[in-house]
Amino acid sequence: MWDAVIVGAGVCGAAAARALSRYRLRVAVLEKGSDVCAGASRGNSAMVHGGFDPEPGSLKARFNVAGNRMFDALCQELAVPFQRSGTMILAVSEADMEEVRRLHERGNQNGVPTQVLDRAALLERWPAMGEGAVGALFCPSGGIVCPYTLVIAMCENAARNGVEFFLNTEADSIVPMEGGWRLTAGDGRVFETRLILNCAGTHADRLNNQVSTDTFRIIPRFGAHLIMDREYIKWVDTTITQTPAALPTGGHTKGMGIMPSVDGTVILGCDAVDYTDPDDAATTARSIDAIVDYFKVFWKYLPISAVYPSFPVEGVINAYGGLRPHPDRDDYIIGEAPGAPGFLNAAGIESPGLTAGPAIGEHLARLVVEKLSPAEKENYRPGREVLKPFREMSEEERTEAIRQNPDYAKIVCRCEQVTEAEIRDAIRRPVGARSVGAVKMRTRAGMGRCQGGFCQSRVVEILCEELGCSPLEVTQSGSDSYILLGEACSHRFEEAQA
Amino acid sequence: MRQVDVLIIGGGSAGMAAAAAAYEQGVRNILILERSDRLGGILCQCIHNGFGLHRYQEELTGPEYAARNVAVIREKQIPYLLRTFVLDVTPDKRVTAMNPEEGLFHLQAKAIVLAMGCRERSRGALMIPGTRPAGVITAGAAQRYLNLEGYLPGKQVVILGSGDIGLIMARQFVMEGIEVKEVVELMPFSSGLTRNISQCLNDFNIPLSFSSTVIEIRGRSRVSSVVVAKVGPDRKPIPGTEREIPCDTLLISAGLIPENELSKAAGVQMSPSTKGAVVDDTLQTSVPGIFACGNVLHVHDLVDNVSAESEDAGRNAARYVLGELAPSDFSRAVPVEEGQGVGGLVPQYVSPSGASETVKLMFRPRAKYPGGAACAYIGGDLAARKKAVVLTPGEMCELTVKRSAFQNAAGAVVKIEENS
Repeated sequence: MWDAVIVGAGVCGAAAARALSRYRLRVAVLEKGSDVCAGASRGNSAMVHGGFDPEPGSLKARFNVAGNRMFDALCQELAVPFQRSGTMILAVSEADMEEVRRLHERGNQNGVPTQVLDRAALLERWPAMGEGAVGALFCPSGGIVCPYTLVIAMCENAARNGVEFFLNTEADSIVPMEGGWRLTAGDGRVFETRLILNCAGTHADRLNNQVSTDTFRIIPRFGAHLIMDREYIKWVDTTITQTPAALPTGGHTKGMGIMPSVDGTVILGCDAVDYTDPDDAATTARSIDAIVDYFKVFWKYLPISAVYPSFPVEGVINAYGGLRPHPDRDDYIIGEAPGAPGFLNAAGIESPGLTAGPAIGEHLARLVVEKLSPAEKENYRPGREVLKPFREMSEEERTEAIRQNPDYAKIVCRCEQVTEAEIRDAIRRPVGARSVGAVKMRTRAGMGRCQGGFCQSRVVEILCEELGCSPLEVTQSGSDSYILLGEACSHRFEEAQA
Repeated sequence: MRQVDVLIIGGGSAGMAAAAAAYEQGVRNILILERSDRLGGILCQCIHNGFGLHRYQEELTGPEYAARNVAVIREKQIPYLLRTFVLDVTPDKRVTAMNPEEGLFHLQAKAIVLAMGCRERSRGALMIPGTRPAGVITAGAAQRYLNLEGYLPGKQVVILGSGDIGLIMARQFVMEGIEVKEVVELMPFSSGLTRNISQCLNDFNIPLSFSSTVIEIRGRSRVSSVVVAKVGPDRKPIPGTEREIPCDTLLISAGLIPENELSKAAGVQMSPSTKGAVVDDTLQTSVPGIFACGNVLHVHDLVDNVSAESEDAGRNAARYVLGELAPSDFSRAVPVEEGQGVGGLVPQYVSPSGASETVKLMFRPRAKYPGGAACAYIGGDLAARKKAVVLTPGEMCELTVKRSAFQNAAGAVVKIEENS
């Protein structure tokens, strides 16, 4: 019997797993995707929110602020790229300025200092700020993180400390049993456990509603983002969004924004459209057009417009979508579900969920510890050993790395300068990469301007070498997402000859 | 630090032709740096024929064409390093490179020839909406899987874009027993060679839809279908014209982009029109002693032309090293501009120190011009005129002008005069 089964390897599930790995507990993480960080924690704006914005006194405010404060230590410990580059809400009208002052006040209530900047103060820091930008709210504690590196790092660390991961494993039904729960996966495997942590993102309602008297609904709220080439990062040093806008379907969106990414690209987005399918994160023409049209107008206010006067749409290298798990109530749903002792929810964790996630995970872990009173492990290791990415090395470091391992001299992904050494490491790590997509998430191979055109076949080859499989078995992202569908005539002929 | 007279980055057809020409010009300290484990570049995976008709008056396959280039390099004993990746090039021509045998090392060159080729435009750059399943692949990547590794990237294919590689792949797919459902082209004309449309599509009864594009990709794990729609003159989809085509693969053949990251690192001035370096007619860039040729300069239709252009670059790089060619100075050169209907013009300047008797102006028509004429005007006077049955973006145009015509001219312009 498991002590705890965590459903979902997103930011909340991963943080809970890592926090629990400190204790002598049998913990399993079930993830329906072929890799960890496959849902809402992956397809978002990658922002670490300061926390000035949520309703004071709400769980959102509490965990946002607490989560934000964890990021320096957490990212340091796990070697995750994170920068406190600040976030700005740009005002382009007097009405916006009023909103800025209101949010500043709210920030004070939440204990999050912000600065109200008038145009003069704005120009002092960003001299290239466009005409029409009348002022801004600047939050220095805001920042950017690589969301999937964060989640992968927490999972790796949890696995290193003994948590077991079950990928391609969807939690299907949950029924109470003596001393806990019996969870059956989609493929029929049964997990008996004392506690369940429901961190299932857009599927959290389906699990909760099987066991709790307090049922709720999670609305998959779609948002799209565009990624721009590294060329533009020089002029995007902080996140700039418009003032938050109310949504007709309830709640609000922080609005469209332009943000630097820790990887050196620029992210634009996102919009907000309510869906019904909890797994449909496909981008749509409507969303992409909405972003492009928005930036055609908003661009002129941004400092980058001094260099690129109009939005350079040819600079877009990719688009991605994501689903926010929006609850049918005003706040996060966190803690033991009414009528279901031992079933703990982290549900409806929409924005600022990436920021709040580490704090929510720790909170769930504390609830588990209160219930089970486990002893701490003696050999718990909080850190994570990582290879420094070749692209970030100095020349001396490169020389030394190649001396120790000549695979560092073999560039596989040219656009992002990812070496063979890093790709092999990504496969060999705990919760290691098993697909082309998982290699991409761990190394950035295939994420650059050519989007894998050159390196994909080489990545397939290395996966085959490391895993001892045929190229025909390699997938893009698990299940039947096969990259190749058969052998060529020449190949078949050669085999027949042999 | 190792000193090299003419350093060539890229061991494809461009780099090899440049190296051979530099050798012929009398330079011996030459070095080719090649990233992959063999010379030949992209030709190695182009197993179809049609290469070398102009240069060798023979119809060769890509590997055969490359083999002839390699034979020249071997015969002249021009040194080259394989598996060698160039990390940086500085404006003073210091090069940082690495390979598994020698680790990271530096080279100082007197002249550099940039011959890095190009890459394909990806799905991301086209911003095609939809899911992100396996089975969306560029034509060149598919060609690599099929020809070098022996695997089929799909069984039922829709091809987006009528670029040459996509057309070639359509034919090869059919030969492999793969069903090619349709080729979809955004523009009202093909960006590929006419001969490829005829030999690769028409001969195999593969439908080609102009003014159409893929507006959505469907399928969760592997592509299950694509939605195609007609587009209007603004290239936006026309509502009501959508149709869904079941398939497991979307092959993207929507253009090539010169790979100029190293050129930019070297501080070379770039052309927004060609996406390659700005050069004068000696193929010298804005950085004195750095030359560019082949697909890294502008995307060619035929390798024969790449070889010819690259010989010019190699010869001029050698002359630069020997003190026979002055450092580039665009402020003293005659600027050549793109006029009506002209895009991708090369060269952008005519140098006063060029030695050839004639200057070749290359460009692509921006649209299809039946009966149009390509004209070069120097200081307002017509210097060259070439009429064609049809001028089309799929085929690069070339005008040859006497160098003497540029003397004392303030500027020149190339334009297309429509059939009137």
